[in-house]
Amino acid sequence: MKGRRGLIGVLLALSAAFAVVAAAYATPNRAAAPAAPAASGSALVKCGKTRTIGFMVPATGPAVSIGIQQAHWASYYVSQYNKTHKTKIKLQQEDTQLGAPTGTAEALKGAQALASSPNVLAVAGPAGSNEIVGVTKILKDAGLAWISGSSTRTTLTTDGTRTGYMFRTVPPDAIQGPTAANYMINKLKVKNVYIIDDQEVYSTGLADTVQQVLRNAGVTVGRDGVDQQQSDFSSVIAKIPRSVEMIYIPWQLPPKGQAFGNQMKSAGRGSVKLMGADGLFDSSFASVGSHVYDTNFPLNPKSKIVAGFRKQHGGDGDYFGAPTYAAVQVAAEAIDKACKSGSTTRAKVRAAIRGTKIPASRSLIGVALRFNTNGDLATAHKFGIYKSNGSDFQPVAG
Amino acid sequence: MNWSLFFDLTVSGLTLGSLYALVALGYSMVYGILKLLNFAHGDVYMIGAFIGWFALHALGGPVNPDFAGAAVLVVMFLTAMIGCGILGVAIERFAYRPLRNAPRIAPLISALGVSIFLQNSALLVFGAQFRDYQTFNLIGVKTYSIGNLFFSVPQLLTVVAAICLMVALTVFVARSRLGKAMRSTAYDREAASMMGIDVDRVISVTFFIGSALAGAAGVMFGLVFGQIFHFMGFLAGLKGFTAAVIGGIGSIPGAMIGGLVVGLAESYATGYLPQGSTFQNLYVFALLILVILIRPSGLFGTVVVQKA
Repeated sequence: MKGRRGLIGVLLALSAAFAVVAAAYATPNRAAAPAAPAASGSALVKCGKTRTIGFMVPATGPAVSIGIQQAHWASYYVSQYNKTHKTKIKLQQEDTQLGAPTGTAEALKGAQALASSPNVLAVAGPAGSNEIVGVTKILKDAGLAWISGSSTRTTLTTDGTRTGYMFRTVPPDAIQGPTAANYMINKLKVKNVYIIDDQEVYSTGLADTVQQVLRNAGVTVGRDGVDQQQSDFSSVIAKIPRSVEMIYIPWQLPPKGQAFGNQMKSAGRGSVKLMGADGLFDSSFASVGSHVYDTNFPLNPKSKIVAGFRKQHGGDGDYFGAPTYAAVQVAAEAIDKACKSGSTTRAKVRAAIRGTKIPASRSLIGVALRFNTNGDLATAHKFGIYKSNGSDFQPVAG
Repeated sequence: MNWSLFFDLTVSGLTLGSLYALVALGYSMVYGILKLLNFAHGDVYMIGAFIGWFALHALGGPVNPDFAGAAVLVVMFLTAMIGCGILGVAIERFAYRPLRNAPRIAPLISALGVSIFLQNSALLVFGAQFRDYQTFNLIGVKTYSIGNLFFSVPQLLTVVAAICLMVALTVFVARSRLGKAMRSTAYDREAASMMGIDVDRVISVTFFIGSALAGAAGVMFGLVFGQIFHFMGFLAGLKGFTAAVIGGIGSIPGAMIGGLVVGLAESYATGYLPQGSTFQNLYVFALLILVILIRPSGLFGTVVVQKA
């Protein structure tokens, strides 16, 4: 009996610990961690030969597979920059553990470390919209600008709380969602769509936007959700009505999209059209078949930059991480500009980022890098639509 | 009643349940003998999935395998089971045996440490990317049906292989000398030792068998669901543990039935309950709490009275 009681005790203790962690994780706007002395935004920094950019990325945890893509693209930019410039760039990396129960807390710790490090002049990242909400106060108080290559929640730049500090090199949900929905309505002419989000902010935001546009156009829309780490989709697939013509899965992990597509085939539903979002823009998802569509910024997979990246890191391009290359590029060029006199301040770097003008010819993501007053790309008005040829995505519109 | 949906969910639940049952057996066997909750067990299952993947690629990969598909599958299962068995023995030898006489919380913490160690080692060694078994290339995409009951080859293979392994284990524990020694050790370790049973050896064999079953489950997971990754053992381990507790931890038939109950509950919750696919884990763990409250010893467990 004592053994059983002990077991129950252990179970209850584990449940309580799980509940505490879950509750902490579920609180989106928790107060920032107690602040260590942060470097000031107006403090003069000697630029020197090597300049430091903070880099916040999920280097471990459940989202590491997308973090590694961002880390590869960031390090690729740095290696190219350091080869061609007299001055050098160094990344000070902080692991945010996006998606882990302690993820937001890790992001806060990382932001605190960057804020306190006087040599850090700007930050590339963080990856997740929730993380940005969490780190805003710390980075703003330290006068640091940050450029995210993957946070797409529309309100991050429109609610006014981060204006002049936050920038992003990826268009928000408000652009990508309608592009996907309008293509389904006007080109594919589907009347019955099923949307499955992966419960992450990126995914639910896009799913909500697409659902809204489709319903406004009179399309029948079903909705479901899966866990981002889930691999068994058989029960979810069983629930999808036979009348559904298209399934929209705005997920972040291409192998999960591939697994879903393959399990659809396994269930005898391989003819239903599938559409992903930029998070799934990868040959692994495209390999599911020619009934697969995707949206992505107008990146040219045959560009010299992509070829160089593949040579250095291998893989299929890791396109989800490509805007992070652009984020580090914006930070590096702004620091160069702000450091012309040999010293600078974080405020000057912020101003230089606001004034960024990188032409499309030098931009990996297919559009010139310029920001509007909110911090969004002024040049990214729409996404491209791609269709799989069975192994890779080919542009069909946009 | 939508019978098509019901049958689809049942097949899915039985497949998942077979995997959970194999993982649960490892939890149950170790708990039965050592009264230890081996929280590293889910990560052994993850390592098994990776060993199977590497074996597959060592044999030419899924597209152009060097041997017939069936032979490749046999090698994948054998390498994963042997590899995981050895890993299980090593974990017991280095992480649990030194703590055998320590307070019960010490090996529990050691188990959590081993779990994190294995997870991060896998991240370091195998990388963060997902690996694809490409089952369609290896054994085809064909779906079979009996009336409204649709199932794929990997699903059938998983359920049949799991049943075979569980029957073999039951016969082994019931009929063999070593099985008898395992039962004696589980009943009273000190008395078994005094009767001349090599308790250390019995415990090592228990870890070997439990871990080998987890390795087989890892390969089955890869074959059915395609994707494997370093983090996959965490939740699978918790579900296996849940299955073991629901069935009655320490009971081998209980672990099997518990696995099937959890798999079917998860599948039916996804299909029938409000926001089931979003909150399927909530429903599964609610079932765990319910069983513990109503029947703390689980479905097949027996209440053991011990002196304080």
